[in-house]
Amino acid sequence: MPEKPIQGEKRVFMTGNEVIAWAALAANADIMYGYPITPQNEIMHYWTRMIPKYNRKFLQTEDELSAGFTTVGGVLAGRRAFTATAGPGNTLMQEPMSMAEAMRLPVVVVVQQRGGPSTATVIYSQQEVTMTTLGGNGEGLRVVYSTATHQELYDYTIKAFNTAWKYRFPTFVLGDGYQAKMRESLTMYDPADRGIEMVATEPYVGKPGMPGVDRDPTHLRNTYNVEEELYEVLEQYLADYAKAAPEIAEYEAFDTDDAELVVISHGVVSRAGKAAVQELRQAGYKVGYFRPITLRPLPVDQLREVANKAKQFLVVESANGQLDRLVKEATFGCPVEMLPLFKPGVGITTEEVVARVKEIKG
Amino acid sequence: MAKPVKIILAGEGGQGVQSVAEIIAEAANEEGREALYIPNFGVEQRGGVSVAYLQIGDEPIGAPKFQIGDIVVALSDRAVHRTKQYVGPETIFVYDTNIEGIEDDLPRNAKKVLGIPAIDVSKKELHPRVFNIIIMGAVIKATEVVAVEDAKQAIEKKLGYKFEKNPKLRDMNFRAIERGMELVASIL
Repeated sequence: MPEKPIQGEKRVFMTGNEVIAWAALAANADIMYGYPITPQNEIMHYWTRMIPKYNRKFLQTEDELSAGFTTVGGVLAGRRAFTATAGPGNTLMQEPMSMAEAMRLPVVVVVQQRGGPSTATVIYSQQEVTMTTLGGNGEGLRVVYSTATHQELYDYTIKAFNTAWKYRFPTFVLGDGYQAKMRESLTMYDPADRGIEMVATEPYVGKPGMPGVDRDPTHLRNTYNVEEELYEVLEQYLADYAKAAPEIAEYEAFDTDDAELVVISHGVVSRAGKAAVQELRQAGYKVGYFRPITLRPLPVDQLREVANKAKQFLVVESANGQLDRLVKEATFGCPVEMLPLFKPGVGITTEEVVARVKEIKG
Repeated sequence: MAKPVKIILAGEGGQGVQSVAEIIAEAANEEGREALYIPNFGVEQRGGVSVAYLQIGDEPIGAPKFQIGDIVVALSDRAVHRTKQYVGPETIFVYDTNIEGIEDDLPRNAKKVLGIPAIDVSKKELHPRVFNIIIMGAVIKATEVVAVEDAKQAIEKKLGYKFEKNPKLRDMNFRAIERGMELVASIL
C-alpha cells in the first residue's frame, strides 16, 4: 500500500492549481480525466507528475465532452473521479454534467474561470457563474463551491468529493485564473487527521447478485418515454435537493447586524470585499460583509435575513451581474436596494470597492 | 491592521521579473510571513511587458492585485509606460538608468524616483544573466521585506541544482544581490 501523500500538517507555498492536485490526492481521488485549457492546465500536470508514486490514474481525452463523459464513466465504475476545465471547456462540459444530474452521479469538476464569451482571455473572470450553477438543459441539480483562498481550494476540493458522494449530486469547485496562478501559503493535511472521513464510493454497475432477485435492479436513465415518468423522477430529485440544500449551503459574514450597506461578493473578489469592509468600518461607515460560499444552493435564509435588515446591497463581481441575478432571486420581495459594481472579466481591487461605497454614501 | 508592502515588478519577457517576485515571496514565506505573488499571464508572456504583483505582510493578504504600489520597478521603456498607473504619492519608483528616451515619461507624482545602473553593472561587473538578481537586491534594500540571508536561501532553493554543477554561479548570484542592495543604498 502506497504511503499517504501528506503526513502531518504541512505549511506550503504554491499555486492554486498545484493545491488542487494535492487536495485530490489527499482526498483519495482514484482518477482524473481531462483536456488541457488555460488557466487550469497545471492541475493535470501536477496530478500526472505525482500519481505514479500513489497508484492513481489519469486519462487525457480528445476534448471536454469526452473528459466529462469519461468522468461519468469512472463514477459509474465506483471510482472517486474528477476533471478540471475552464471557459469554452466548461461550455462543452455542461452536456456530460447534465447526464450526471439525470443519473445523480457524484462527479467532481474543478472550474478555473477565464474571460468570456468564447475564447476571450486565458486570464481571469467570474463569468462562469451562471453556467456552472445552472448549465445544462435541466434544473441545476448540483452543488457549487466558490473558493477565495488557497486554504479553501484545498479544503473544498476534499469536501467536494464527500458532498458529491453523500448527496449524489455533481459537485463543482469554482475557482478562477487568479486563484489558479497565484502563490500563497496554506496548510495541507491528511483528511483523517482532522477527523474528516472520506465518504465511501461504490460502483453503480457490475454489482454482484441477480438483479431483482438478490438485489434491487440498477436504474440508470437519462431518457424517458412519457412526460409523467420524467416528472415523477424529477419530483423526487427536487425534493432531495430541497432537503439537502440547507445542510450544504455555506456562507461567511460579519458586521451585518447594524449595517446600512452590505457588500455582497464571492470567490476571489470577496477578498477585496472583506478588506474594503474592514477599512470602511474603521473609517466609521456602517457597512457589512456577506459572501456566499455555495453559489448553488445559495444560503437563502441567511441572505434574506440580511436583506430584511440592511438598506442597500452592493453586489461586487468580475461579471456583468451573474451573482447579482442569483442574489435578486433569493431575496425577492425583501426591501433592500440592489447596487452594482460589475467589472466583467477584470479583477477588482480593495481600493475600488472602498471608492464605490464612499461614492454611494457620499 | 498593518497593511502589507505592495510591490510591482515590470520588464520585458526574459528579464526575469517573475522569478524575482517568486523568490522574494518564497523567502518571506520561509520567514513565516504572509506573501502573495501573482504574475500576469496573458499573451504578454509571449512578447510584451511582464508584470509581477507581490504583497508581503503579517496577516493574510487581501485582493491579489492592487492599484498603487509601495515600490514599483520598471526595467524597460515599455515597462515605464505600463507601470505609471501604479504610482501614487507614497510610491518609490525604481528604473534602470540604461533605458533610453524615458526621461520625460518618468512619473512625477512619486515619493521618490530612483535610477540605478543595474543593466550596466550586470554587463560590466558580473554577467547579464544575473541582472534580475541585482534588481532583487535593490527591491530588498528599498523595502526591507525580507532579510538578505533568507533571500539567499530562497535563491539556493530555486537554483541549487545549478550551483551544484557550477559553484561559481552561486558566488555570482550572491554578489549580484549585494550589488543591487549597494546601488539602492547609495542613492536612498
